[in-house]
Amino acid sequence: MTSSPLIHIEELKKHFQMGGTTVRALDGVDLDIQAGTFTVVMGPSGSGKSSLLYLLGGLDRSTSGQISVSGERLDQMDENALALFRRRTMGFIFQSFNLVSSMTALENVAFPMQFTGTSIAQRNESASKLLEQVGLADRSHHRPSELSGGQQQRVAVARALVNNPSLILADEPTGNLDTASGIAVMQLLSDLHRSGRTVLVVTHDPRMTRFATHKIFLLDGHVVSEAEYQSAILDMTQTVPE
Amino acid sequence: MKLLDLFRLVINNLSRRKARVGLTAVGVVIGTAAVIILVSLAIGLQKNATEQLYGIGDLSLINVYPGFGGEMFAGGGGSVKIMQGGGGEGSGSTDMLLLTNSALDDLSAISFVQSVIPREYLQSSMIMKFKKFEGGSGVYGIGTNDLADLGLETQQGSTALSRATVVIGYMVAQNMYDPTLRPGQEPPLPPDLYDQQIQLVLSKWDADGNEIRKNISVRVSGILTESGSEADWSIYMPLEQIKTLNEWATGIRVNYNKDGYSEVLVKVENPDHTLEVRDQIITMGFQANTMLDFVQGINNFYKILQVVLGGVGAIALLVAAIGIANTMAMSILERTREIGLMKAVGATNRDVLAIFLGEAAGIGFIGGLGGVLIGWLAGQGLNIVAVVYLAQQAAEQGGLPPSVAVYTPLWLPIFVLLFSIFIGMVSGLYPALRAATMIPVQALKYE
Ligand SMILES: Nc1ncnc2c1ncn2[C@@H]1O[C@H](COP(=O)(O)OP(=O)(O)OP(=O)(O)O)[C@@H](O)[C@H]1O
Ligand SMILES: [Mg+2]
Repeated sequence: MTSSPLIHIEELKKHFQMGGTTVRALDGVDLDIQAGTFTVVMGPSGSGKSSLLYLLGGLDRSTSGQISVSGERLDQMDENALALFRRRTMGFIFQSFNLVSSMTALENVAFPMQFTGTSIAQRNESASKLLEQVGLADRSHHRPSELSGGQQQRVAVARALVNNPSLILADEPTGNLDTASGIAVMQLLSDLHRSGRTVLVVTHDPRMTRFATHKIFLLDGHVVSEAEYQSAILDMTQTVPE
Repeated sequence: MKLLDLFRLVINNLSRRKARVGLTAVGVVIGTAAVIILVSLAIGLQKNATEQLYGIGDLSLINVYPGFGGEMFAGGGGSVKIMQGGGGEGSGSTDMLLLTNSALDDLSAISFVQSVIPREYLQSSMIMKFKKFEGGSGVYGIGTNDLADLGLETQQGSTALSRATVVIGYMVAQNMYDPTLRPGQEPPLPPDLYDQQIQLVLSKWDADGNEIRKNISVRVSGILTESGSEADWSIYMPLEQIKTLNEWATGIRVNYNKDGYSEVLVKVENPDHTLEVRDQIITMGFQANTMLDFVQGINNFYKILQVVLGGVGAIALLVAAIGIANTMAMSILERTREIGLMKAVGATNRDVLAIFLGEAAGIGFIGGLGGVLIGWLAGQGLNIVAVVYLAQQAAEQGGLPPSVAVYTPLWLPIFVLLFSIFIGMVSGLYPALRAATMIPVQALKYE
């Protein structure tokens, strides 16, 4: 692929000041992600996966470095521009679903369209279609508390799609799910990829790699090769005391 | 975000937490109801007072008296006569600005002045007699041949003044009594004096203290309509006639053009200009006053009362405002993740601000609506009770019965409703700003 990448990251740093010490969640990340790929970000806990995803989604500010998505510099946008950018181009899926508990599945899916000025009829139609697509047409009027974890995450997937984003960002979407539900969600994400969207998933789950076209490995805020990563993981497991 | 979507979302969000919204709104209900009732009460009192004051006098009339000079006005200075030195008594400079005919011309020249009419009061004691009745009233000589120039009207006869006739106020006859009546006897009905000859018995005393009487007979050519003012108690005659009587009473020849009149009534075209004309007259150096000052003083008092009572209610609203701020702060804390989600799906800071401000305003509106309704109903209830009671009082003590005790003009509930919405927004401003400026990740990660 010679076209310019959908995502271009250069020297990206995210540091947190904690009292006297500096936590380097990301410490100089360079990364290119092409449009239409399914990328899995792997790494041990605390390696900076979520930090990377939130920066990519424009939900947080980097300490330094460049992030471009579709050629637009997120690190140079103001709050308002970022919000509009998220609205147009991104769909988020979270580990803890983040559904509004007082709203039905349908209302949750339609939620993002309140800010786009879509007509109510149009909203309901799109939301119903998406619920059908994730296999929950018969659960439209259930509230989150009346749905299983897997069903809730599928509602969240539908919600992420409602503004027809080109980029899907998922932070451990299967982390709170049992094996079967997890696979169903992965299957959904894979379907999205095959329908032409760019998908980026942060996960611990090695099964996710089956669907991935690209893999990124993070260690202590740095991108490393798969080989480095595997040996580091091996070291870690060996140093665990009996 | 579309306004309609905003409204819909705010209403949905508020109905999600009915109990809490309701409880917070109760504070606003109490505050707004208090404002409505208290201000309505003040307005009701003012209305009553103004109704009672209605007849106090013609508000376009200015009473002008000789002045102590004051600021000399330029231009017409030459036409104003100053009496020098107080007749040698030598108590310093008592220069008086006199109401001579040329001064009257100056008064007439002021814009908006309709008429300038001298008035002299009788300078002796007087008893009025008719058949077995006696009475007393203020006797005035008026420098016009028609009392209509002063805005007076008659219920019988005419307002025209002519020699040997008088026009009397409504209460003059009512106030006559039978001096031969012994205690316990039923007093007779007051006489009908219209077109009757009545006797005016004037008294003066000579140097030795002997009473000298003068008896004159006049015909009552008109009886004035009741006005609730001084005119009710007055007897009016032509100026010439009072001059003769006063010359007899004081033994001094009167030259109005040299000594000036003791009082001049200035009638202004309409009450809107009364104060401005009054001020000009004072600038000319005369003394001048008008009933309008008094009425305005009373009005100002009730304005202040309204503000004070409204302020008492507003304190209740302040407490309610703290309640709204608290509820909104709680709500925002609980919904932090929801705020994070809103931002993740593309809500701008302004959208978030509008949503939470809208919710706070909504609580204010709900409370305001309830308070306006309750305040208005309570006011109506109070009216029914109070008007009955006050009417009884008025019947016992005389005087006009009040028409209302509590009066709620339309602007009041509208203003209070808008104000409670405003209070809601102000109280919700800080929490809403906090919500709007939350960093999305932090809101999403909030536990
Ligand atoms: N708000 C914060 N304040 C301070 N330190 C933070 C904050 N957020 C993250 N960190 C630190 O940054 C580092 C990376 O965190 P991040 O959440 O990106 O890890 P992760 O790879 O997603 O881990 P996990 O797999 O457990 O979710 C961690 O050491 C974490 O403690
Ligand atoms: Mg994480």
